[in-house]
Amino acid sequence: MTHESLRDLLPAYALDALTADQAHEVSAHLETCELCRGELALLQETASQLAGATPQVAPPPRLRDQMLAAIHPQPRTITIPRGWAIGLAAAAAALVIVASLTAARFSREVVLLEQRVARQEQILSVLTGPAAKTAVLAGVVQANVKFVYDPSRGEGALVVTDLRDPGRQQVYQLWLVAGSTPESAGVFRPEAGRPIVVPVRADFTKYQAVAISIERAPFGASQPTTTPILTGRI
Amino acid sequence: MRSSAMFFSMHTGIQHESSNPNSRITPIREIVSLVQPVAREGVQDRELLAGVARRNSGAFEALYDRYSRPVYSLALGMLRDAQAAQEITQEVFLSIWRQADEFDPTRGNVRSWLLALAHHKTVDAIRRGRLRATEPLEETQASDLDVVEEALRRLEQGRVREALVRLPAEQRQAIVLAYYGGYTQQEVAERLSIPLGTAKTRIRDAMIRLRGTLAGVKEATP
Repeated sequence: MTHESLRDLLPAYALDALTADQAHEVSAHLETCELCRGELALLQETASQLAGATPQVAPPPRLRDQMLAAIHPQPRTITIPRGWAIGLAAAAAALVIVASLTAARFSREVVLLEQRVARQEQILSVLTGPAAKTAVLAGVVQANVKFVYDPSRGEGALVVTDLRDPGRQQVYQLWLVAGSTPESAGVFRPEAGRPIVVPVRADFTKYQAVAISIERAPFGASQPTTTPILTGRI
Repeated sequence: MRSSAMFFSMHTGIQHESSNPNSRITPIREIVSLVQPVAREGVQDRELLAGVARRNSGAFEALYDRYSRPVYSLALGMLRDAQAAQEITQEVFLSIWRQADEFDPTRGNVRSWLLALAHHKTVDAIRRGRLRATEPLEETQASDLDVVEEALRRLEQGRVREALVRLPAEQRQAIVLAYYGGYTQQEVAERLSIPLGTAKTRIRDAMIRLRGTLAGVKEATP
């Protein structure tokens, strides 16, 4: 069909009044014709006004719950500390402790293989201890990331259960924020399908927030170069 | 170092000379509000959709709260079946969750796009239903005109209804059957016993006229 004859079909296309075959032809034409795309945008606006003239009725509230459940395949929160105790103890064998790679003021020794188990137990004891506090990080990405810490012992850990892969060129970097000054607490990559833990040893009374930004692989930056994607108050 | 220091002070708005004891707390609030734009009122639809494309569930919730009502109402108005309208609403929002990045801002606004998607899925459902249903053998022209009148009667008072009423009757019948009835132009032609070419012309003329009347009319915010 010619541009003219396809253009003639646009009003019917905007009303979904074409057969499937005709609609396919118009769709294909739209990919390459800016003129027709502009025309269709105007027609669709008119069509949406027709839509808006139907009596307005709110959908039942449970539909909202169903929708949100459908887009959250995993539970959004886990109770601390008991929930973690059960969940983490069960998952302990599969738990990956990620060593912080940057050298700064916090404890950031590279975790050697033989130290891993000890460290893992230490972290688990922090996470499940009675003094453990938790901050759920929230922001511009869908994630399940918590910062669990024990201010009295200066031990903490970032627990990353669900966070999108940052790609090969980038890593996530964890920051502790004192006033307006962020300090690096290490870089990490999430693992698909299993939680990871980034141990952090620090005087948590000094800080008011934790934040995660996306930085260049493999070592991150000395100071954030991008807006944090997740933050939590501690 | 300089740029990053600027970064945080810019984003937190904190003055370093501040001696206000609250200044220890203020920056976090501001960081948090910065990275959670979806929580704010008056966020643009496109920002919400961009958030949904980044799999931000908060943006999705906000978009749902903004548009579930018009989407559901359109499906309900056309299908007159609450269960089916809920299914359509669910389908629409799930497909947005999966394919928010398919929205092309050069192709119009989010509201139009979303309602076009809702209309499309509703028409699909109507046509599937018609395939299953046994059509009455003799449907008269009069019954189709009743359909049009009934559809018009159910529309809410307002600019759109008025604009439809002011169309020449033959254009109004054609566009109401097509849009609210979910009929193709061929079916509209058959139902109104007019040639296909005439149906096409009436539908096109009706759309052009409506566009002229309704252009620039602000939608009531849902």
